[in-house]
Amino acid sequence: MGIQGLSKVIGDYAPSAVKENEIKNFFGRKVAIDASMCIYQFLIAVRQEGNMLTNADGETTSHLMGIFYRTLRMIDHGIKPVYVFDGKPPDMKSGELSKRAGRREEAQKALEKAEEAGEAENVEKFSKRLVKVTKEHNEECKQLLGLMGIPFVEAPCEAEAQCASLVKGGHVYATGTEDMDALTFGSTVLLRHLTFSEARKMPIKEFSLEKVLAGLELSYEEFIDLCILLGCDYCDSIRGIGPKRAVDLIKQHRSIEAVLKNIDTKKYTIPEDWPFEQARELFKQPDVLKDSEVELKWTEPKEEELIKFMVEEKGFNEDRIRNGCKKLQKARHGSTQGRLDSFFKVTSTTSTKRKSTEGTKGGATKKKAKGGFKRGR
Amino acid sequence: MFEARLAQGTLLKKVLEAIKDLLNEATWDCNENGMSLQAMDSSHVSLVSLTLNAEGFEPYRCDRNCSLGINLASMSKIFKCASNEDSITIKAGDEGDTITYVFESPNGDKVSDYEMKLMDIETDHLGIPDTTYSCVVKLPAAEFQRICRDLSQIGESVTICCTKDGVRFSASGDLGSGNIKLAQNANVDKEDEAVTIEMQEACTLTFALRYLNFFCKATPLSPQVTLSMSNEVPLVVEYKIGEMGHVRYYLAPKIEDEADS
Repeated sequence: MGIQGLSKVIGDYAPSAVKENEIKNFFGRKVAIDASMCIYQFLIAVRQEGNMLTNADGETTSHLMGIFYRTLRMIDHGIKPVYVFDGKPPDMKSGELSKRAGRREEAQKALEKAEEAGEAENVEKFSKRLVKVTKEHNEECKQLLGLMGIPFVEAPCEAEAQCASLVKGGHVYATGTEDMDALTFGSTVLLRHLTFSEARKMPIKEFSLEKVLAGLELSYEEFIDLCILLGCDYCDSIRGIGPKRAVDLIKQHRSIEAVLKNIDTKKYTIPEDWPFEQARELFKQPDVLKDSEVELKWTEPKEEELIKFMVEEKGFNEDRIRNGCKKLQKARHGSTQGRLDSFFKVTSTTSTKRKSTEGTKGGATKKKAKGGFKRGR
Repeated sequence: MFEARLAQGTLLKKVLEAIKDLLNEATWDCNENGMSLQAMDSSHVSLVSLTLNAEGFEPYRCDRNCSLGINLASMSKIFKCASNEDSITIKAGDEGDTITYVFESPNGDKVSDYEMKLMDIETDHLGIPDTTYSCVVKLPAAEFQRICRDLSQIGESVTICCTKDGVRFSASGDLGSGNIKLAQNANVDKEDEAVTIEMQEACTLTFALRYLNFFCKATPLSPQVTLSMSNEVPLVVEYKIGEMGHVRYYLAPKIEDEADS
């Protein structure tokens, strides 16, 4: 789920932290991608007539289709992806996970009901809610990536945290995910909509942590506290405190401890045993592989093995896989265009914005805040 | 209040032609010393840096520093309405969100004025370090344009190899390969046709011809072009704009992939 309403908060308080860009402008960048999140997306989105794609034996292939083509799309645009897989969830996430399990059960019941009543639309809706990324899905994706010569990292714990650490360590330029908590984990740059299909023509949204902090006038520590108040995956938030009040409180008191001392506990019930300190620690010092333990290598695709896996086992069209292989090989050979902004650094930003146009700007930010991608419902 | 008049209006027309294909929009920074513009193309591969000194204009008036956000395609469309002999005056108020261009025929019989909306642009200014380049090549601008155009028939990128004997431009592609070599010839009578090389150290770099062809749109501005290069840093292509300034293009080189990445 990430952080509740964070993208709206950023849109309202720090609109300049979000830039929309075409995918082709990210050439030459290395990007860490939250694999579990995008496999989940593929299982939901890559469908035909409401059903997941399968091979002749009835095994799901939506995720492989997604990984294969969306990776090719990035490679085509000169982006070098690294996939990061989730490890075991942190203990603190168990609350959130059991909530998710509860929602699945509800969806399961609703699905049965809808099936009985023969409501095709609802059947599709609820079956999407039941989608779960299994271990097999993950293993197959890893196998596919290995054959394609794309590196992947197995995070000891949360994938977003590992992505953030890769960004901080300078291994990659940005984290590609829809989960906003990559920012809370300290990714300096977050890219949304990176793995969406070409056909949707969605521009890529680039969030800059530095500009988010500047816009909110918060330090990184204060920003973590704000995210906990907004609602994260690791502990409850205080009932009755919405995004607006959370920002105001943190700006005024600068930490959750100080907020707790100053708010009316009769009006707002603070959850019993509220482990916000552990949650904060989890964001600051997540369980990740150290920089030195990570090695990223993009290698030659193994064409024949890829054909064996994708065509013979999974029933994909041979020509298409061979074509994809050609693209992978082409991207590996020849030189890559350098980026000017890796030679010269930004020294200042000028804006020609005039007062009279403030009104229209506000309208634009409102629009940006909507349309967040929800996960795990 | 900002006002600048250029008697030789055609120079401004040429400047616009030189940048409008690379940049959609840009911020013109105006201060008492003159007008300048710095912007990267949308893919952040190249950068345009343009300077027009106040001395080149008559009169030039800038009461307050201002940044004008301008859609260059629209500006170029309007400048096409000016004749080559016309003088061009640029005016902008301190408040207001428009800019006005006035075109005057030499004998003053015909005066046309066009008003254009300004834009809201946020631009990042890049700090460009002062660099001593290992090779500085001066050659006729038309010759450079010809080389870029010819080699784009062969491939997508050109490798420029500069040694003390001369400079070699090479490209290769599906149909084959091509090389063009220019030797130093500083002794010719006509200064504009000279090829001169100042070299500290030999260098070899590869660049995308697509961008070089965009830069060559500045050819009408100046008889000579200067290429400054060092290994593994961006190339600088400079055209003088008469006595009043210059347009410089920076282009990031193509980088051979290291084996492990």
